[in-house]
Amino acid sequence: MGWVTEHAPTGAEVNACVRCGLCLPECPTFRLTGKESFSPRGRLMAMSAVADGVVEVDESFAGIMDSCLQCRACEVVCPSLVPFGRAMEGARAELAAQMPSRTRTARHLLVGRVLGSPGLLRMATLAVKVGQKTRVVRVLPSLLRSGFAGIRPVKPVAAQPGSTYRALGQRIGRAGFVTGCVMDVWFSDVHAASIAMLQRAGYDVVVPATQTCCGALAAHDGDVKDTHRLAERNVVAFANVDVVAVDSAGCGAHLKDYKHWAGQAGELFSKRVFDITELIDQAITSGRIPKSSVDRGPVAIQDPCHLRHVQRIVDAPRNILRAAGYSPVEIDPDGRCCGAAGMYSLLQPELSHQLGAAKADQVRQSHANVVASANPGCEMQLRSHLGKGYEIVHPVELLWRAVQEDDR
Amino acid sequence: MWPRSYRAGLPNTRSSLDEESACLCIPEARAWHEPDRLMTLIGDLREILGPDRVLSEPLERYLYGTDGGMARGEVIVVVLPETAGEVSDVVKAAKRHASPIVARGAGTGLAGGAAPAVPSVVVSLTNMKTIEIDLGNRTAWVGPGVINLDLSKLTRSSGFHFAPDPSSQSACTIGGNVANNSGGPHCLAEGTTTSHVLAVEIVTADGEVVLLGGPAPDPIGLDLRSVVVGSEGLLGIITRTLVKLTPNPLDVRTILAGFATMEDAVATSSGIVARGVVPAALEIMDQKMTRAVENFVGAGFPIDAAAILLAEVAGHPAAVEAEARLVEQVANENHVTSLRVAADEVERAKLWLGRKSAFGAVAQLAPDYYLHDTVVPRTQLVATMQKIYEIAERHGVLMLNVFHAGDGNLHPLVAFDASVEGQLDIVHAAMEEVARVCIEAGGALSGEHGIGLEKRDLMPLLYSEADLDAQARLREAFDPDGLFNPQKVLPAGSRCADLGRPIPAGAWL
Repeated sequence: MGWVTEHAPTGAEVNACVRCGLCLPECPTFRLTGKESFSPRGRLMAMSAVADGVVEVDESFAGIMDSCLQCRACEVVCPSLVPFGRAMEGARAELAAQMPSRTRTARHLLVGRVLGSPGLLRMATLAVKVGQKTRVVRVLPSLLRSGFAGIRPVKPVAAQPGSTYRALGQRIGRAGFVTGCVMDVWFSDVHAASIAMLQRAGYDVVVPATQTCCGALAAHDGDVKDTHRLAERNVVAFANVDVVAVDSAGCGAHLKDYKHWAGQAGELFSKRVFDITELIDQAITSGRIPKSSVDRGPVAIQDPCHLRHVQRIVDAPRNILRAAGYSPVEIDPDGRCCGAAGMYSLLQPELSHQLGAAKADQVRQSHANVVASANPGCEMQLRSHLGKGYEIVHPVELLWRAVQEDDR
Repeated sequence: MWPRSYRAGLPNTRSSLDEESACLCIPEARAWHEPDRLMTLIGDLREILGPDRVLSEPLERYLYGTDGGMARGEVIVVVLPETAGEVSDVVKAAKRHASPIVARGAGTGLAGGAAPAVPSVVVSLTNMKTIEIDLGNRTAWVGPGVINLDLSKLTRSSGFHFAPDPSSQSACTIGGNVANNSGGPHCLAEGTTTSHVLAVEIVTADGEVVLLGGPAPDPIGLDLRSVVVGSEGLLGIITRTLVKLTPNPLDVRTILAGFATMEDAVATSSGIVARGVVPAALEIMDQKMTRAVENFVGAGFPIDAAAILLAEVAGHPAAVEAEARLVEQVANENHVTSLRVAADEVERAKLWLGRKSAFGAVAQLAPDYYLHDTVVPRTQLVATMQKIYEIAERHGVLMLNVFHAGDGNLHPLVAFDASVEGQLDIVHAAMEEVARVCIEAGGALSGEHGIGLEKRDLMPLLYSEADLDAQARLREAFDPDGLFNPQKVLPAGSRCADLGRPIPAGAWL
C-alpha cells in the first residue's frame, strides 16, 4: 500500500541519506541498544522500504518509528543534510492514518485536544494540584509517580491573556509572548521571569488571548489535522507583533517550523520567532541588560535537544548564566537527549528512564546542585531523576533572580 | 515463517552469483524458505542469546542487508552477541545449520563487506564494547564494537589517542577497522591500522576462540595477527583486539591552501614529501567536493579554488614551526591562491569535520555515489588525475575527488541517480576504466576500504591467477567450508587448481 497521506516522507527526504552512518553514534537509542532499527539510518531505511513497496506500514514499522526520540541530534552531524525530523513527522502522520488503533486515539485526544483547550487543561491541572496537596502520588504506579515528581508546585498564571507589560527603558519593539499549554500553568515562574526580562530588554510584551498550543506534540505524534489547526490559529494570534518570544525550547523549535504547517504565512511567522534565550542574550550583548558582578557559583547546564540540535542555540543560555554571575558547568559535550522528549517518557518508559538516569549521573558528577534547562520537559525529567537536593530552573529565571538581588 | 523474499539484488556485481559456488567451496544458497530449517536455526540462536538479541522480523533483517556501500543482500537472521563465548556458540550453531555468517560493526564500510552475498546469519558486534586501558604499556584491549573515536576520546585526558582515523571514525568500529586495515588522513605519518594492532582474538570457523599475536611486539611463530588484519571477515570473527595507543602531539598546525588548478595542489603535496617532510596529513579536495562540504560545515573552505590542500603538521613545537614554514613555501612555489592557518582548536576541528564529511556531503548533489579506493605512486598523481577527469567527461558522469594526497590514496567518486535506467551501467563502465588507469600507473586496488563485494571482480586487474589461488588457499586454511563472508574479496575461479599443488613462485601473498 505504501504511503497514503500528503505528509508522507518524500523521496527526496529519504533518498538524501547515503547510509554513511555518521548519525549512529549521535543517536541516543542506538547508543543504548546497538540495533540498526533504533538508529536514524535504520529508520530512514525502513521508510524507504515502505516507499519502495518492500514492506507495509505495520506493527514492525510502527515499533521502529515509535522508538525515535525526535531529538534530531542526527541532523547536526548529517553531511547529506537529511531533514530527518520532517521525515519522521511524515512517518508518524502515516502511522496515525494507517494504524488508528485505540492507544493512538487516546494520544490524539491528549495532544490534539486537551493541550489546545484551556478548559480541559485546567481540569488536568486541578487533578495535579489535588495530587500534590493530598500526596496521592504515593499510591500511583511507579511510571506515573516519576512523571508526577517532575512537576513544579502549581502556581497562579503569570502571563495574563490579553494583557500588555510595558517596556522598561528604551523601547525597541513589541514582543508577543507564547504562553504554551503546560508552561502557562505548571511553569508560571518561568513566564514571570521571561516577561520581566523582556521588559528590561526593551520590549512591550503582549500576551495574545487567542493563541493556543503550538502543536509540537501533535506533529510529533502524526496528528496532522490538529497540527494544522493549531498553527493557523497562532499565525493569526501573533499577526501584530515584531517578535514572537517563547520560553520553551520544544515549542520554539516547532514554531520555527510553521512553513510545513501554515504555508507561506507560517514561514513569515517563523522568521519572527525567537527563543527567550536568544532575545535576552542579544539584550546582554548590546548592553540593554547589565552583567552582574556578583559571583554566584556553578550551575550545571543542560542543553535541551530542541534548543541545541534543532534551533542550534548553544551559546545564549551560557551567556545568560555568566551575565547573572554564575559559572556554567558543562555536563555533556555530546548534548545527548535526557529522554523526556515530549510524550516519549510515557510511551517508551524503559528507554526514557535509562537516558534520564544517565543524564542525572552527569549532573551529579558536575558537583553543581543547580541545573539550568530551557525546556519544561527536560526540567521535569531531570527533577524526577535527580530527586531531592537539586534545583532545576530556566536560565532566564536565574538571571531574573540576580537582577532583583542586584537591584536591592 | 519465512516471509516474502526481499530484493536481494546486488547492483554492483554483474556476474551471476549462482554460477560460482562450485569453485569456492561455498555452501550453496540453501533453501532457507523451508520453515522448519529456519525455525530450528532461530530457536538454537535464541537458546544462546535470548529472544531480544536475535532479530528475525523481516523489516529488522532488511536493515542489516547493506552497509555504506551499494550492495544489498539477504539476511537470514541478525544476532547481537556480547562475549567471545556467545560468538563461538553462534558460529557453532550456524555451522551446524550450514549457514554462512557475515560479521558486522557499524556498517559504515564502502565496499559491501558487510552486505551478505548469499543469505547469511549477520553477527552484529556493536554491543561488544569493553575497553581495558593499560597506560603503562600504552595499549588497550578493545571489543570489536568500540567506536574508533570513542577510544580516542576516552584516552584524550591521559594524552593518548588511537592513531588510525578513517573519515567515518566518529561512527565506525575498531573491529571493522581491523577487518579492513583501515586508514585515514593521519595514517600518512602513523601508518594504517595494522601498525597499531598487537594482538587479535578471533573465533574460528570451528567456533574456537584463538589469540593471534600478543603484547610482545614480535611474538614467536608465524605472524598470523598480520594475516587477520585486513582479511575482511573471511578468516574469523574478531572478538577482541590489543591496540597501541599513540601519544598526542605536543603541537599541531593545520593549514588550508587553495589552488587555481588540481595540478598545483598535487604538486604542492608531492613537493612537501619530496623535501623530506612527512606531515601528519595531506588531503586534497576538488572544487565540486569542497563546495558540497562547505555547504554543510561552513568552515570557510575557499569554494572558488579548483582544489584545496589540507595539510597538518604535528609534533614538537620547534619542528611544527619549521615544517609549517616549509608547507607554506612549497605552496607559494606552486602558485597558491589562498592560505590560512587554523587559528584555534575550534577552527581546526571544523576543517577536519568538513574533510571527514565529504562522502556524505555528496548526497546533496545526487542520491547515490560509487567510489574507488585506488592507490597510485605520488609521482603519477597528476597524470592519473587528468586521466580520471577525462574518463568522467567521456562517459558524461559527475566526478568528484577527495583523496589522501600524501600517500597517493585516491577516492574518485561518481555521484549519480541509480533509479535512472542505465545510469549504473555507465558508472560501472567509467569506474572500471578508472581502476585500470590507476593500476596501469603502478597502483593498487584498495588503500583502506577493502575489496568486499563491490571491488571483487576487479581483483584480476591487479592479481594473477597464481596470486588469487594463493589467497584462496590461505582462506581455505582458516575456513575450509567458506562459512565466513562467502563470495567476498576473491572473485569466482580464484581456487580452481588442485589442492595439492604448491604455491607458485612469485605469488603475491
